[in-house]
Amino acid sequence: MLRSLGSGTLRSLCIRRNRSLPRAFSSATRYLEPPAADRVPDRVPLRKQLKQEAKALRSHKRQRKETAEASKEEWELTVGVEIHAQLDTETKLFSRASTSTSDVPNSNLALFDLAFPGSQPVFQAAILLPAIRAALALNCEIQPVSRFDRKHYFYQDQPSGYQITQYYEPFARNGYVDLYDYDGIAPEDGERVRINIKQVQLEQDTAKSQEYSPTTQLLDFNRVSHPLIEIITMPQIHTPETAAACVRKLQAIVLSCGAVTTGMELGGLRADVNVSVRRRGEAPGEHQYDGISGLGQRTEIKNLSSFKAVEDAIIAEKNRQIEVLESGGVIEGETRGWAIGSSETRRLRGKEGSVDYRYMPDPDIPPLIIGEDLLSSLKDTLPTAPDALLTLLVGSEFNLPIEDAKPLIELDNGARLEYYHDVVDILRSLQVDQDDKTRASLLRVASNWVLHELGGLVAKHDRAWDTEIVPARSLAHLIDQLQRNLITGPTAKLVLATIFDGDRRPVPQLLEEENLLLRPLSREEYVALAESVIAMNPQMVEQIRSKNQLGKLGWFVGQMMRTGEKGRVEAPKAEQILRELILS
Amino acid sequence: MSLLREAERCVANQYAHNFNAFITPLSRTGSWQDRVREADARREEGNPKSPVDGRLISIKDNICTRELPTTCASKILDKFTSPFNATVVDQLEAAGAIVAGKTNLDEFGMGSNSINSHFGPVRNPRRDSSGEDVSAGGSSGGSAASVAADQCFASIGTDTGGSVRLPAAYTGTVGFKPSYGLISRWGVVAYANSLDTVGIIGKTAGNVRDIFNILNLHDQRDPTSLSIPSRSRIQAAIESPQLASRLNSAPLRIGVPKEYNVSELTSSVRRAWALSLAHLKKQGHTVHSVSLPDTKHALSTYYVLGPAEASSNLAKFDGVRYGSRAEGPDGDGKPDGYLYSNTRGQGFGQEVKRRIVLGTFTLSAGEFDNYFIQAQRVRRLVQQDFNAVFAAKHPLEVEHTDKLIREHDVDVIICPTAPSSPSRLKDLMSKSADKSPLDPYVGDVFTVPASLAGLPAISVPVTVPGEEGAELAGIQVIGQYGDDQLVLKVGEMLEGKSFD
Repeated sequence: MLRSLGSGTLRSLCIRRNRSLPRAFSSATRYLEPPAADRVPDRVPLRKQLKQEAKALRSHKRQRKETAEASKEEWELTVGVEIHAQLDTETKLFSRASTSTSDVPNSNLALFDLAFPGSQPVFQAAILLPAIRAALALNCEIQPVSRFDRKHYFYQDQPSGYQITQYYEPFARNGYVDLYDYDGIAPEDGERVRINIKQVQLEQDTAKSQEYSPTTQLLDFNRVSHPLIEIITMPQIHTPETAAACVRKLQAIVLSCGAVTTGMELGGLRADVNVSVRRRGEAPGEHQYDGISGLGQRTEIKNLSSFKAVEDAIIAEKNRQIEVLESGGVIEGETRGWAIGSSETRRLRGKEGSVDYRYMPDPDIPPLIIGEDLLSSLKDTLPTAPDALLTLLVGSEFNLPIEDAKPLIELDNGARLEYYHDVVDILRSLQVDQDDKTRASLLRVASNWVLHELGGLVAKHDRAWDTEIVPARSLAHLIDQLQRNLITGPTAKLVLATIFDGDRRPVPQLLEEENLLLRPLSREEYVALAESVIAMNPQMVEQIRSKNQLGKLGWFVGQMMRTGEKGRVEAPKAEQILRELILS
Repeated sequence: MSLLREAERCVANQYAHNFNAFITPLSRTGSWQDRVREADARREEGNPKSPVDGRLISIKDNICTRELPTTCASKILDKFTSPFNATVVDQLEAAGAIVAGKTNLDEFGMGSNSINSHFGPVRNPRRDSSGEDVSAGGSSGGSAASVAADQCFASIGTDTGGSVRLPAAYTGTVGFKPSYGLISRWGVVAYANSLDTVGIIGKTAGNVRDIFNILNLHDQRDPTSLSIPSRSRIQAAIESPQLASRLNSAPLRIGVPKEYNVSELTSSVRRAWALSLAHLKKQGHTVHSVSLPDTKHALSTYYVLGPAEASSNLAKFDGVRYGSRAEGPDGDGKPDGYLYSNTRGQGFGQEVKRRIVLGTFTLSAGEFDNYFIQAQRVRRLVQQDFNAVFAAKHPLEVEHTDKLIREHDVDVIICPTAPSSPSRLKDLMSKSADKSPLDPYVGDVFTVPASLAGLPAISVPVTVPGEEGAELAGIQVIGQYGDDQLVLKVGEMLEGKSFD
């Protein structure tokens, strides 16, 4: 979009701070590696060393847990979360430049994105669709009128010297997110905890900067002004686990409603947390945040890029604050950072040096007016929320275990669940002749095949999910054959792998041509087979008989399946014969 | 005279008389000559593209041009050439006009005398009675001087608080600031977005109107450009029988705001004002005293809002993507040093720094409510003052649609453009202890209210007898929002009048 912007425009920039490694780095690995002086100079057997280290780590963890338990009784932690998520949009927030991230640096830019003098913002209305979807999915009240403000600060990733955001009048307010036990909240939060969402606002992303040399930064402005939503929760979280669960849940919600395409692992989502502690049973703290009063002085930890980092950073910051307070110190309202793998947060900016962002209503951008018609059509097309899906899947109809239902919903951005439904639909039509009980069990069997058998193959071969790897119709036919006992379990797995490898023959044809259909063995054939494996392992038979080691029966079943004709030995029948021969 | 002859004479004047009106003059020869020849041919065939086909129009150097640098008279942009043309530049070129060079100004439009320029002060082509150089007014002083000195046919400036009207008054030209939002600001380097308008300076109100009619179009690249439906509403209001008659048969009701009769008015300006009113009375129009009670707060309101927006707009100048950059690491080298302090410290002039600091202060968390919010409230009061005295209702404020016109109110307001004649340059440039850098702000006292209210206003020159011969003064006509054509017409009735 900008012809004159050649490579010469991308200049290096010397930045303001002298770079020094954060202190946290040096102590990050202290539990894994004893200090140099304590180390035996050479020839410690590796295995022994690893064992010692693992032991030290375990004892550290145990100690940490004990300390945490003790401090939990005395101190109350309060956490609020802010999430920044990149909206799934074609264009930037205020220009028609593309949001594509795969292009060469500094190629997707309009004049305004680079803050060229005389250029002006033009709000791209289409970006509202994902933004409103996210806000609705978070149960927010969408504001009929909202406005844009400028947040001022100087940094090389911010071309205009300010970020356009919605500080005074955000487009969505007063939402909430419900966290359940299965979301991984702390046990003391019980089955469910509701975290209120103060507001959701639209804002611009910044440029990407990359350190080239200690005094030089390379800048890629492609990301500048990519539309973001910032989700701000109330400070209502009281454990690190629940805070991490909250971030995970917020990500799942914005992904599942189609507002966002990439999560934390790809940098599409970042979290800030604010943390304060107060002593239980003492007079309420003096601080008030977002209308919640009686809190202690809080600090903010910026730019956390994984759920683990959220949890670990909060634990570390809580411990730091408690330590400061217990030794008679005072918590400063400051911004802190967290490096992955470290054990303590690191001060970034103090209160004295804190930035006054000088928020000012943007004089160029008109108010954002969202009509009722747009809202109602978005409400009608909003996909079912993850919690509602989960309720459905674990409910009486599907009856899936929660540990299967969750990945089905979360995997591949909902595509896995859609695939599962396809398989189930086809399977139901194939099994119309079966009784109700068999048909009811299909749902669970199908989930098992979709998640574990097919999922295992996908993971093992490191393939990206694609519904065409194994067409839903093929998997449904395979399960149908298995349910009707026309093939054995091992055969079904073998056929699945064949299809996974690209065999596109219809399943019935494939089974026919490969001669895989089950021709059941007669009782006599089973007995002969069992006797032959028993004869070869008399001492094991003795162990089963004398010590009642029934687990070893399974080993004999395996032997029968291996020595028998491929695809014809059915495990349950084999075991039954073995029990007869060995135990009676 | 052929257009080519006229254009070549203008360019010769650019090089012959150095009023420092131009930062980048037009080259003596170039492809522009062919374009003017073609315009001459079209004129001969009776088929010109527009009334400005083949005319040289100079452009204030805070308006982007692809062919010539755009410096904003700032060191921080001293070698900057924009990759795009402002909409107004494209519109003028499409109408056959030639960009006559880039005119000097107060850095980023901040000043009332065009002396705050990295490229040196503009000199008024007129001197005072002692032959001393005087201010050309600001911030579009180069534009006004270039018109007054016949270095172009007309000029495009910008008016944020009077920056087109004041230089017009000081140089004896016509300066017009249209209603906010009529002319596109795409490509105009923002000083204070909510106040910035593109203005036109010409020899006559007729020339100005010709150019205004070319530029008065919606532009989707400017989010503050008035939408087409809003333009239709204004048009419908103006064409209603009650309002349409003002431009034809009916005598005008002329308002004289009593709050503008301040002690700072010099006697010649007061005389010019009174004689102008008397002249209009003689034509059959009626003169009425009106009150604009919040006028006294307008200037301070302007100097809160303007710098606040400026401090924000100018944050983009960091030397990273364009513009000049200081040598070496930027900042003071200390871990907590301020980013870009070298580039911005060296690149901006004193007045720009003053306003950035002022604006940064009024936007800071502790002061925002007391200054910025309060100033926005006063701005609203100033707008209401005007709405209370104009007979025509504000066409975009819908609540009272019963009738468009009220009895006993006025059609236009007439007042001086500036309280006094231009100061001597040497007085302005000297640094004496009894002078405050805020003194020149008073020069904007009559122009700022119309800017705060977004109203159309024109300054036209009249002359009156003074103690030392004829003295020049600018008379300002202010109209209701959207009443731009009426303002131009009343300006035309007064322009160039010499009263005895």
